[in-house]
Amino acid sequence: MEQNAETRRMLPDSEAQPKRKEDRPLKVVPPKKQKSKHRVVRGLIYASLVILAIICFIPFLMMIINATRTNGEVISGFTLIPGNALLDNYATLSEYINIWTGFKNSLIISVSVTVLSGYFSALTAYGFTFYNFKGKNAMFIFMLVMMMVPAQLGLIGFYEISKTLGILDTFIPLIVPAIATPFTVFFIRQYTQATLHISLIEAARIDGASELRIFHTIALPMMMPAIATMSIFTFIGSWNNYLMPLVLLFSPEKYTLPVLMGFLKGSQVAENLGALYLGIAISVVPIMIAFLFLSKYIVSSISAGAVKE
Amino acid sequence: MRKLVSLLTIGALSVGVLSACSDGGEGSSSEGSKDDVLKIWSFTDELKEPIKTFEERNGVKVELTIVPTADYATKLKPALESGVGAPDVFTGEIAFLKQWIDAGYWENLSEEPYNAEEVSGDIVPYVFDLGKDKDGNVRALSWQTTPGGIYYKRSIAKEALGTDDPAEVGEMMSSMDGLFEVGEKLKDKGYKLFPDEGSIRWFAQGDDPQAWVNEDNELVLTEGKENYFDYAKELRENNLTALAPEWSPSWFEGMDKPIKVKEGGKETETEVFSYVLPTWGLHAVLKENAKDTAGDWAVTSGPSPYFWGGTWVGIYKDSKHKEEAYEFIKLMTQDEEFLTEWAKETGDVLAYNPVTEKIKTDFSDEFLGGQNNYEFFLGEAESIKPGIVTKYDQQLDTLYGAAVTSYVEGKKSKEDAIKEFKKQVKNAYPDIVVD
Amino acid sequence: MKKLDRYGYLFIAPFWVVFLTFSIYPVFLTLYYSFTNYTGSPGEEIVGFANYTRLLTDTYFIEAFFNTIKIWGVNFALQMGMALLLALLFSDLRLKLKGLNFFRSFFYLPNLITISSVALLFGILLDWQHGSLNMVLMKIGLISNPIDWLAEPVTAQLSVSLILTWMWFGHSFIIVMAGVSGISTDYFEAAHIDGANRWQMFTKVTLPLLKPILLYIMITSLIGGLQLFDLPMLITDGIGSPDGSLNTMVLYLYNQAFKYNNYGYASAVAYGLFLITLIFSAIVFKGMFRNERATQKKGA
Repeated sequence: MEQNAETRRMLPDSEAQPKRKEDRPLKVVPPKKQKSKHRVVRGLIYASLVILAIICFIPFLMMIINATRTNGEVISGFTLIPGNALLDNYATLSEYINIWTGFKNSLIISVSVTVLSGYFSALTAYGFTFYNFKGKNAMFIFMLVMMMVPAQLGLIGFYEISKTLGILDTFIPLIVPAIATPFTVFFIRQYTQATLHISLIEAARIDGASELRIFHTIALPMMMPAIATMSIFTFIGSWNNYLMPLVLLFSPEKYTLPVLMGFLKGSQVAENLGALYLGIAISVVPIMIAFLFLSKYIVSSISAGAVKE
Repeated sequence: MRKLVSLLTIGALSVGVLSACSDGGEGSSSEGSKDDVLKIWSFTDELKEPIKTFEERNGVKVELTIVPTADYATKLKPALESGVGAPDVFTGEIAFLKQWIDAGYWENLSEEPYNAEEVSGDIVPYVFDLGKDKDGNVRALSWQTTPGGIYYKRSIAKEALGTDDPAEVGEMMSSMDGLFEVGEKLKDKGYKLFPDEGSIRWFAQGDDPQAWVNEDNELVLTEGKENYFDYAKELRENNLTALAPEWSPSWFEGMDKPIKVKEGGKETETEVFSYVLPTWGLHAVLKENAKDTAGDWAVTSGPSPYFWGGTWVGIYKDSKHKEEAYEFIKLMTQDEEFLTEWAKETGDVLAYNPVTEKIKTDFSDEFLGGQNNYEFFLGEAESIKPGIVTKYDQQLDTLYGAAVTSYVEGKKSKEDAIKEFKKQVKNAYPDIVVD
Repeated sequence: MKKLDRYGYLFIAPFWVVFLTFSIYPVFLTLYYSFTNYTGSPGEEIVGFANYTRLLTDTYFIEAFFNTIKIWGVNFALQMGMALLLALLFSDLRLKLKGLNFFRSFFYLPNLITISSVALLFGILLDWQHGSLNMVLMKIGLISNPIDWLAEPVTAQLSVSLILTWMWFGHSFIIVMAGVSGISTDYFEAAHIDGANRWQMFTKVTLPLLKPILLYIMITSLIGGLQLFDLPMLITDGIGSPDGSLNTMVLYLYNQAFKYNNYGYASAVAYGLFLITLIFSAIVFKGMFRNERATQKKGA
């Protein structure tokens, strides 16, 4: 409990250091003789980064290329040359499942989960950071502590409560629990403590803004980088979630992509590896693209830097 | 301020409201449109064809849900326990059969109006008996019988053993000594008898296999079961296998192509002679993976008979469509017309005698060079005893396999490995008596 | 308590309504089961502390504890090292590296694949006789005999640690980078002008300012790491082979519950693990803040 107060103490501390910036030139000019050495170092760093990127990309490359090859070709080993069985594989796949329905379901669930989790976690983190109510520290610690109970056995209880509420075979037990995401609350709180100062809130209060309005107009935008960062993890986690939808959904037209992929493994498509890879590719490539696109929006120093002034 | 309060109240209540809405909506939709649908759950899409036939004949709509084997029990259990969203008909692999029969998930088929006992004479005895509970009531039926054999490549047999005739090759491998002799002959020509050491597990326990656990709930570790250690070690030490563990990519690869084996610091290329698989191994495993070698295969018996796997099907005890459900089970297990077609199409070895009697004589499989595998397997099925299946089998086999591996790889002595195995059994199943 | 502070309750209310319904209820149900001989079907009996006394003398659980720590520890050290190094490189004003978005995306890719595909992929790569890794190592002459990576306890544990590092370093990098980007560049420029070298900048500016974020990573990775189970389960036979070296605490729990149907005992295992996590987290918090005090003193 005591730790919480101490975490907060870091704030003024981090505020204290750089006040000298105004009276010094901003530009950094490296000495000339270091330039060529500098270039070599940069080259080496880039080379290692590229190698690392390749190591991370290889499985995706294999998946995408295999999606265009026939079963026989897939079995006979891996090459970098794409095959020409893409359309056949798609035809095989479509015979068994309606992958686009699954796509739609996954999208509905993941987007809802991401939005709910982002908004309510920010709300909760804000409540925990800027108000001093009774039992605050106890509640925060309790929340952290509850994350430590392994969730595997909770499945039975989760199923029971969903049954009691009558929400089995709906998207609700997959979406609504996102309102309570302790990890995200924890992260946003940590981030907010380091970047958002209470004086801003107090200034707004003097201007007569309501509490919720302050949250929406001042705090939320500043929390955005942290929310965006966590949103990516939330979205991907929800997109790949397999066990929960598998257990909670019964109607095939409500199945999400990972459940459909499981469906495929039990069917004859599994004997056509090319079609199976195509199915996996269809489920993974969109998030790869979404991620590349979103990546630009995670944490840029501009938004965070603005806090300081 | 009032806005804040109301907004938060809405937020807090939304859970309740949403669930309340869904409660009404869900209830009506599931009862309205889905009530006349027969729900079937299984772990493969095997049932697709029979379902099509069933829908055409009876005008009943069927909804098949396929759940991957690994997650099948996880999904079934909560649904069956609570009755919410449960299927009307579901299948069970032999690994789960006893457990689910004991749990009482399946309807008693010995009672009116099913009277399953009436067909007892028409179904292979061990298959029929395995579907019974402790009190002898039938809970599930099966359409297939799954005795095992050894599938081998004819061309290699001709080269190394001088013949490719299943009867003659089977004769050579009819004892453990004979099997190892064959292994040595193959080694001389640069071939490997089996892909891995595990291949020998069925034969190691001899002609009279015992259940893992007896009536008094004691662990039974027969000499036959212990022999598995020695035979596996012998295979490894004499370099008779291709070191390709079951279900690994190289295990599959070995069916169609030479695979590389690294022994004593050098790499050699070798071909695997044979795979120890049951009936379903032919259409579900071999035909799918061996394309170039199709036609070069044959099947014969090993030192002792064995059986492996099998799928049973039954009615969920709280189903609202028991009548239609049993119609489906009858189609699947006792319908002459349908089963005849099914057997011809898939090559699955049936458990229903009236059909097998009719088709077994003129059966032949191109993949096996025209051999009549049907007659062969039906012969093998006669020597199977049903009493050896327990609900512990799958887990105990896994634990035992790990113990044998640690001995084969020289990490533990046989005694220590067995001691460790017993300790693990006791830990996993405190109710089993371990000496 | 100021009047405004009451709003705090309203801000956290939706969270708690949902949290209590969907998370706390199952957790307390587990607590109840830990005092019973529940097998997954109704009809359990209360057995008192029997499951807990069994846990204290269970050598498999103790073994699982050390396995988990070893596998997670190696992975965490590597993963954090890489994440910090990368964040350091990308935030370095003199290097001015480009393509942060590009690399960040690529480094995160391994985290997108489901764990079963990861296990399958590495199963093929690490295969003793036929895997690409041994083929490459033998070709370049590093080893003369193939190494059976997943058959020796040490190499099996190391393999799992490295795969986890591969999967998670991008994730940690993103979070560290988020923290670093949250630091105003003014700090770095000021330090640079004051003539600080890279190392000083890292230890005196970056690290102290990153502390809240690092604490976040430490705690979440610890909680996640102690709950490690799906990769060790899928990459060998599911019971922790070779020689029980991949038997982690949650894998043990999972097997007790779902394979052997000892839900009651598995629930006790869950609470044993919970207690361990609690102790470790307390140590992390303590450690973090002892440092904090020290830096504050030095600064003052």
